[in-house]
Amino acid sequence: MRKRIGATVLLGIGLLAVGVAQNSRSSTLVYGGDFSDLISLDPGISYEFSGGLVTDNLYETLVKFEGEDLSTLKPSIATKWATKDAGDSWKITFNLRNQKFSSGNPVTSDDVVYTFDRAIALKGNGSFLFDEVANMKIGSTKAINKNTVEVSLPKTASPAAFLNLLTFNIGGIVDSVVVKSKAVNNDYGSAWLKNNSAGSGPYVLNRWDQNQQVILDANKNSRLLPRLSRIILREMKEANTQKIALESGEVDIAENLTPDMVKAKASDSKFVVYKADSLRLQYLGMNAGAGSLFEDARVRQAVRWALDQDSMVNVLAGGNARKVQTIIPAGLFGFNATNPYSVNIEKAKDLLKAAGKPNGFEFEMLVPQGSCAAGVPCADLSAKIQADLAKIGLKANIKQIVQSELLGIYRAQKAQMVLVGWSPDFPDPDGNATPMSDYGAKSLAWRNAWNNPVASKLAQQAALETNATKRAALYKQLTELQLEEGPFAILYQPKVPITLSTSVQGYKRNAQGQVRFEKISKK
Amino acid sequence: MLNAAIPAKKQASKASRRFWRNPAAIVGIVLITVLVLVAVLASVISPDPIAQDLTNRLMPPSSQHLLGTDQLGRSVWGRVAHGASLSLQVGVIVTLISVSVGVLVGLLAGTFGGIWDNVLMRVTDIFFAFPSLILAMAIAAALGPSLTNTIIAVAIVNWPSYARLVRAQALALREREFVEAARAIGTSRLGIALRHVLPNTLTPVLIQASFDIGQAILTAAGLSFIGFGAQPPTPEWGAMVSETRNFISEAPWASSAPAIAILLAVLAFNLVGDGLRDALDPRNTH
Amino acid sequence: MLNYTIRRLFFVLFVVWGVSLATFFLSQVVPGDPALVALGDKATDEMIANFRVKNGLDKPVVVQYFSYVGRLLQGDLGTSLRTGRPIIDDLRDFFPGTLELSITALLIAALIGIPAGILAALNQNKPPDFMIRFLALLGGATPIYWLAILLLEFLHNKLRILPGPGRLDAYLLTPARVTGFVGIDSLLAGDLQVFGDSLAHLILPAFVLGAFSSALLARMTRASMLETLSQDFIRTARSKGVSQAQVVVKHALRNAFLPVLTVLGGVLGGLLSGAVLTETIFSWPGVGRYTTDAAISLDFPAVMGVTLLAGMAYSIINLVTDLLYALFDPRITYA
Repeated sequence: MRKRIGATVLLGIGLLAVGVAQNSRSSTLVYGGDFSDLISLDPGISYEFSGGLVTDNLYETLVKFEGEDLSTLKPSIATKWATKDAGDSWKITFNLRNQKFSSGNPVTSDDVVYTFDRAIALKGNGSFLFDEVANMKIGSTKAINKNTVEVSLPKTASPAAFLNLLTFNIGGIVDSVVVKSKAVNNDYGSAWLKNNSAGSGPYVLNRWDQNQQVILDANKNSRLLPRLSRIILREMKEANTQKIALESGEVDIAENLTPDMVKAKASDSKFVVYKADSLRLQYLGMNAGAGSLFEDARVRQAVRWALDQDSMVNVLAGGNARKVQTIIPAGLFGFNATNPYSVNIEKAKDLLKAAGKPNGFEFEMLVPQGSCAAGVPCADLSAKIQADLAKIGLKANIKQIVQSELLGIYRAQKAQMVLVGWSPDFPDPDGNATPMSDYGAKSLAWRNAWNNPVASKLAQQAALETNATKRAALYKQLTELQLEEGPFAILYQPKVPITLSTSVQGYKRNAQGQVRFEKISKK
Repeated sequence: MLNAAIPAKKQASKASRRFWRNPAAIVGIVLITVLVLVAVLASVISPDPIAQDLTNRLMPPSSQHLLGTDQLGRSVWGRVAHGASLSLQVGVIVTLISVSVGVLVGLLAGTFGGIWDNVLMRVTDIFFAFPSLILAMAIAAALGPSLTNTIIAVAIVNWPSYARLVRAQALALREREFVEAARAIGTSRLGIALRHVLPNTLTPVLIQASFDIGQAILTAAGLSFIGFGAQPPTPEWGAMVSETRNFISEAPWASSAPAIAILLAVLAFNLVGDGLRDALDPRNTH
Repeated sequence: MLNYTIRRLFFVLFVVWGVSLATFFLSQVVPGDPALVALGDKATDEMIANFRVKNGLDKPVVVQYFSYVGRLLQGDLGTSLRTGRPIIDDLRDFFPGTLELSITALLIAALIGIPAGILAALNQNKPPDFMIRFLALLGGATPIYWLAILLLEFLHNKLRILPGPGRLDAYLLTPARVTGFVGIDSLLAGDLQVFGDSLAHLILPAFVLGAFSSALLARMTRASMLETLSQDFIRTARSKGVSQAQVVVKHALRNAFLPVLTVLGGVLGGLLSGAVLTETIFSWPGVGRYTTDAAISLDFPAVMGVTLLAGMAYSIINLVTDLLYALFDPRITYA
């Protein structure tokens, strides 16, 4: 008897589980990925990748990129914009479209002023884009009339860079009427906006269950008509979990499969692999400071001659990467496609000999935990590098530590060698050139104790050069100088392989990780 | 508990006979012997654990690769075999440390009593209140990932149980005739602790320790699995399961081989522990 | 009894204080800079300096400790560096998931372990006994994460018998939060479909989590049953012609239950440790995974918060088992 009750209960559970409403499946997209970096869905605060994926669909920006293109700005809330040289400053004006927020309130120039001033005042992780990169202050943005806004920037800032920045999370225009009403203790409504939305994007936030899911519902007041009524971002940290869920149909898209899983799915007719671009560079940083083992540029060259990049790209990354050796990623202005280094153990050994280190040496390689670019486990990538360097007599002791601890050591110039990645803050070569070349910028060149005045000067010049031909020439000079002397061994530029069920249509992702959910449909 | 009336020698030989008549205990001893042999002879009987061969990744077991290869084309057999000495070392060192600390604390608390007892046992209680893996994880995170730190973390988690065990024994012995006799002839407390209490606590400690070697291996492997353990490319078993877990569909051998190695090692020490308890403590019929 | 209970409650407070001191000490030796944990790679030196001032990290350690204790006394566990939220809010969100999983695991462990132990004891040195002892040995030695990966691969991915990771199918909406327990909340909302799905999702992870404990319980039950069965009063009962079933149910079980009860408390504590590994593999939004994520990112305030609550829970569970022990066994009295 008891057995029968047990069986009935189990059967009942089974039936209920199977009976998940079929009709909701065609109008709902379930997106599996590691969204554990989400800390807030407030566009003024969110700076992480996952944050961008969500806020970009909740909030519209003044201007935006479409599809995979990152070179031509397209109208969004602003129908037109113009940059004027006002002598001591730049004046950029935007004409706004007539449209509504999800609350039904109209989008006006007051909302733009509030959004920009708020983003600076909040001092979030992304605020530096406005106050440091664009040199904006509270008050830089003014409403000319209900549908016209003007931003003034000092001459030290680049108007082109500013317009690019507007496409980020931080440029998402919030509904000032709603947000002001939710503000407590001068927090500009950030506690409320953390898990609510007040934008004009194609979706509104239904709910965010931390470490579980983000649910977006179609915004009925949006100008952009979404095809799907609901998007569910389901947090799955484990690659294997994502793979299983994709195979069982529980998710339609998986973001973080391992290269081997991607390869298997690419040959399966039920799935499609979409390889999105990325501006990230995976690199080895070598401390070039006085007294360091890597002080001599010839030692750093020897390292570059020893690295088997082809295997990293083709085997470890499963082909989901591009072999790159220069400091500006492909896809940005100024990219230098030359790859002069290939595996040459003899040459590497000669260089070590010339540098007075014929017997090689032993050192510590700092490696973060988890995955490196293109989904390659950092443990595997570092083991491969260790094996490559062993061939020229360099003994790397791998020290895999927590990201923040690694950063602490690296930022104090105390690392001998680090295996890390870098993504530019905005799609412009300066996002890599200055941090990697200008010692005075106190970024990557500084962390590797590489002080090269020529490189610093070139980076500074190129950043402000408005003539495209001259700028290209400066970057060519800089990238070649870096190839010879620089403290980096660039390993590869990853692709982001996204595995989709064939039923998903219209998925596109740009190199900033933005996906327009309103264009996605399911068949 | 030992019966003081029977001469120790006779009792030991009786216990030894009981132990060697227990088939499960013998299986445990055989397994441990095999493990030790593999650990000692690893570089003779198995290939280089870190040599990569990217053209032969995730190969199934074959005559060429006994247990197949992993995601970097390294020999799984080579890695499992070389990992044996690491895991054995971790298990033994952790247990040595926790036994030393725990016995010392328990002995002090049990023989001196009073304030010593109160302070030491309250500290022990605090350590008991932590969920073991979470405490070990917190310590390992604070110290930074390395095998040495894993050993420290697991030892810190394990010692309190010895302290309690030894203290309980010491308290029980305090009332026994031979201890009272020793006290009567003016033996100092320390003398009593070392000469009379310590030898009599060894049996339960030995039994507990043989279980704990296995548990220490299991906990340390768990820490490595999360990422607080050996540094790559060290062939530590827990780390190996972690590194290869995403290949469970296409290369199940890569994660199963080290996992089964952990299982066998833990099983071996548990069997020996069971055998020791049955032999030395016959009243306890587990 | 009342006196004893009050004394033990003071002891709980003492343990919690000790745990807070120990974790605070640990947090001081952590190599990572909390500011970098919170702000990430792109933080400027100025941002880091501001963060340190804002969080009192620039003050001497002793001052930091007293302000930490001061906040604890007000029930403030601090703010997580990783999620940027009050830790108490994080735990409120994640704790029900772990409790749901642990209780189910405990039930599974008890339902498998105790009957198996009885069965083994009644058939001492016969095939069922050997079988059960062998399985119990295996269960006590298997790395839980490997068991999780294997079962997930075969029972879910290959055979599709049981649902996989997570608490609910992605297409089902979690019911409005009342208690945080998906099962209870779905019943309150009258949503049987969600209720059924949440139960089905519990089976695999709870089994994995309960496997180790059920092995332990089986061994304990067997041992204490054997001990009881060999005692005089059982022999007397048997000689009086009481049937085997009655002997087992009326006499042996009751007496064998006490030692089992003592391990039960320890088992619940052990489950929290097991949850660390199980929740990671099953994408289970619980405290175990939260703690792992916190430890991996060196978010020490969060780790401290979890250990503090776990220490408190452990002490209280122990207190409750001891009191239960007294209730069940009239021979034990507490002064």
